[in-house]
Amino acid sequence: MVFSSLFFLYVFLPLCLICYAAFKKLKYRNIVLIVFSLIFYAWGEPLFVFLLIFSTIVNYLLALLIRKYRGGRGAKIAVTAAVVYDLAMLGIFKYSGFIVENLNVILPFDIPVPDIKLPIGISFYTFQIISYMVDCHWEKVKVQKSFYKFLMYVSLFPQLVAGPIVRYSTIEAEINERHTTITDIAEGFSRFSVGLAKKVLIANNLSTVVDSFFKGNVSELSVIGTWFAVIAYAMQIYFDFSGYSDMAIGLGRVFGFHFDENFKYPFICKDVSEFWQRWHISLGSFFRDYLLYIPIFGKRRKYGGLFLVWFCTGLWHGASWNYIIWGLYFGAFIFIEMLIGKKRMKKIPIVIRHIYNKIVIIIGFGIFYFEDFSQLGDFFKNLIGLNSNALIDEFTKLTFTNNVYLLILAVICCFPIAKVVSDYAQKKNALLYTVSSVKIVTNIALLLLCSVMLVDATNNPFLYFRF
Amino acid sequence: MEYNDNITESPSDIRTRKFNELKKKYILSVINATAVVIFVITLMTVSVCFLILDRPEISETENRTLAKMPSFTVGDYFSGEYTAGVELYYNDTVPGRETFKHWVAKIKDHFGIASSEVKIHGTILNKQTTETKPAETRAITTAGNAVTGKTSSVTVSQTTVTEKEDNPLDDPNIEGEISNSILVYNNRGIMLYGGNYPNGELYAEYVSNFKADLGDSVNVYSMVCPTPVSYYLPTKYSDMTASEKDNIEHINENLEGVIPVDAWGALDKHKDEKIYQNTDHHWSQLGAFYAAEEFAKTADVPFADLSKYEKVVKDGYVGTLYGYTGDTDLKDNPEQFIYYIPKCSYTSEFFTPDLSESWDGNLVVSIDNIDPTSWYCVFIGTDDVVTHVTTEVKNGRKLAVIKDSYGNALIPCLTSSFEEIFVIDMRYFEVNAVNYLKENGVTDLLFAMNTFSATGSNFECIEEIRTQ
Repeated sequence: MVFSSLFFLYVFLPLCLICYAAFKKLKYRNIVLIVFSLIFYAWGEPLFVFLLIFSTIVNYLLALLIRKYRGGRGAKIAVTAAVVYDLAMLGIFKYSGFIVENLNVILPFDIPVPDIKLPIGISFYTFQIISYMVDCHWEKVKVQKSFYKFLMYVSLFPQLVAGPIVRYSTIEAEINERHTTITDIAEGFSRFSVGLAKKVLIANNLSTVVDSFFKGNVSELSVIGTWFAVIAYAMQIYFDFSGYSDMAIGLGRVFGFHFDENFKYPFICKDVSEFWQRWHISLGSFFRDYLLYIPIFGKRRKYGGLFLVWFCTGLWHGASWNYIIWGLYFGAFIFIEMLIGKKRMKKIPIVIRHIYNKIVIIIGFGIFYFEDFSQLGDFFKNLIGLNSNALIDEFTKLTFTNNVYLLILAVICCFPIAKVVSDYAQKKNALLYTVSSVKIVTNIALLLLCSVMLVDATNNPFLYFRF
Repeated sequence: MEYNDNITESPSDIRTRKFNELKKKYILSVINATAVVIFVITLMTVSVCFLILDRPEISETENRTLAKMPSFTVGDYFSGEYTAGVELYYNDTVPGRETFKHWVAKIKDHFGIASSEVKIHGTILNKQTTETKPAETRAITTAGNAVTGKTSSVTVSQTTVTEKEDNPLDDPNIEGEISNSILVYNNRGIMLYGGNYPNGELYAEYVSNFKADLGDSVNVYSMVCPTPVSYYLPTKYSDMTASEKDNIEHINENLEGVIPVDAWGALDKHKDEKIYQNTDHHWSQLGAFYAAEEFAKTADVPFADLSKYEKVVKDGYVGTLYGYTGDTDLKDNPEQFIYYIPKCSYTSEFFTPDLSESWDGNLVVSIDNIDPTSWYCVFIGTDDVVTHVTTEVKNGRKLAVIKDSYGNALIPCLTSSFEEIFVIDMRYFEVNAVNYLKENGVTDLLFAMNTFSATGSNFECIEEIRTQ
């Protein structure tokens, strides 16, 4: 089940809200959330829901051991066992096929490639659990003694299948005690509507534009057509993923949880490093906090760790070499920016910095798109006109004209205009009341508009579902 | 906002400030409460409406049966099929679906410049390259099964519009007769053609194999029919498509012992007439008539002119291309559907594809009670039958037509040319075609299909029915 489906909007969500509101006591509300979260997960993964529950039990027990043997060897063994178990599960279900395929290239004999289906959301909930276990060991959070509360943290449906990676520390207090205000609920619904619109109105329609170029014969695309398609693709991914994060954050808030932001207008960044401080923040901070800690690179830890992080970032996105290259590609640019240094970077004229980082980011999304290396090669050739195709063709002109308003809307929405207006309105009461009232109408309009658009959408999974 | 440092604030100022803060908080609470109430009411209202209102079972514009509520089995549940089926049923059968879909099309019209006379739907074409290999899948019928008129002594069933199935729009892997790239120009849907020389060579080889098997006593003809892209695509956009003419010529060059029929040239002479439908991927019967005339000339058989037909004109036709593109220009510009009923007398007998059952029926069936989208079914009614027509002609010539749905419109035009006509759809035929043709003493064999079938995936069926 995806948030952007009529079934979720008009069956699952209303039932969940009614049941949640029917109880006043937090304990029962939490139970409602657990039940609905498990139904939500089991709806898409009727078998792997047991894997989710099993992993929760294993980690819950190991966390209790950490608590019991606090400061001793037992705690270290428990946390190591937990991390090994979680990574093993991720490795088996997500990477075993990829690993065997690559081993077969090296080995003189062939190992049968296992055909294992990827459980939805395993990349997200595995990282959530790891962060909890390590934080327990580091005493950053208290070990959760209640199993059902821990199960709720792991399975909470707003963020279960496509992030953001919510740290236990972020919602630790709210799991035990939370007060949902009317502002929380209103803001939650508002945020949800905006996220839904990002996905349904913008991302889905941009995907039609992108597919019309990239799903055909890539080698025949014109130079400008290729640039146009990859720019549209960069925006599509942004609206798809940030839209999902908005919906997750919004739903969380409706139930009284305050998740951290996952996207902060990444395309306004001034350099590549800043892009990654604004894009999928929960993943970047996970690697920063947990992976860079590992002292495996000695004195060169700073640079070695950097490439390890970017290797893992790439690999996390998919079991394919193009993702790894994509991760290392960004790592390389961040490495170069580190060598240049922040001060010297700032001295470079801002226009040049923007041109530089946008080109890097956009080409990066091309690498992200093409799992097939020959297509990726054609894509690169097209970008610089090495395919001897036209600079621009009628198809590109036509597709651009046919979608020009959609593209303008998408570009505008990449900038924090709504945020600036909203922040400004906070200072003036009359404006604040007006903006808040207008938001009511806008949110309903977006919800209904998206619902109509969804009648026509038989298939619109989120891209980040596969990670 | 911090006011604690404001040591000059008087007690009345403090009261005013506190009052204003409370007032602001109160007003915002009211606004937020209103927002929540309206949002929840909207959510619940739509939810209840979707629950109690009647759900459609078929989509007229898409010419397909909508998803059905799956029945529960433990196996289906654990494979995920059951839950996926329930969700698909709910999302696919939204009350008011057709209206909403029309709204979506209207909304999408505003994504770009409305004054543009050209719109494009689908993917840029994978134009023919030497590496392209024939696809393995068999494309399915596009005429649909809307009207079969099937009656037999064993089972008497009048298939109605509610039993639509096998529509290309259902199949995400569609190849063959229809392209997934459609350009809408001046309210006409034009399928862009990918072309494929290697596939064309295989088509020629498979057709030639029939000639080799049937020997000199049977004349074998190949008529690969062009589509609107050959005549109505503005020159400006010609780089978006491969040339049908070149592909047909390439096929003809590779034929061995098979006589090519120049449908391209025949239609080119009449391109100012209504030889194709604007909203459907098929040709009109007038187009088929001119192609049939060319074939009759090539085969040296008599041919009846249009005065020997009863002309039927129906208004309000919107064909498959609307369902495929959702383009409002097509929906809002319904066209005439004109067909011709031969005045000569003939009888037609229908068989199941395995020839196990037969029944009498009409070559031109009634379309009075069916949705306009399916009007092309007027010819023969469906693709998944074998048809045997017996005419009053006495020239000793017996024709077999191996065809896709383009061939359906041809058959009524040949009822004054051959003594008997056997009509086989290569995608459905289940017995060995060569034996069937020999057993029936066929003297002429015509392969009639559009370019998308001949160089798409359907051509493989030709070899299958020869060797099965």
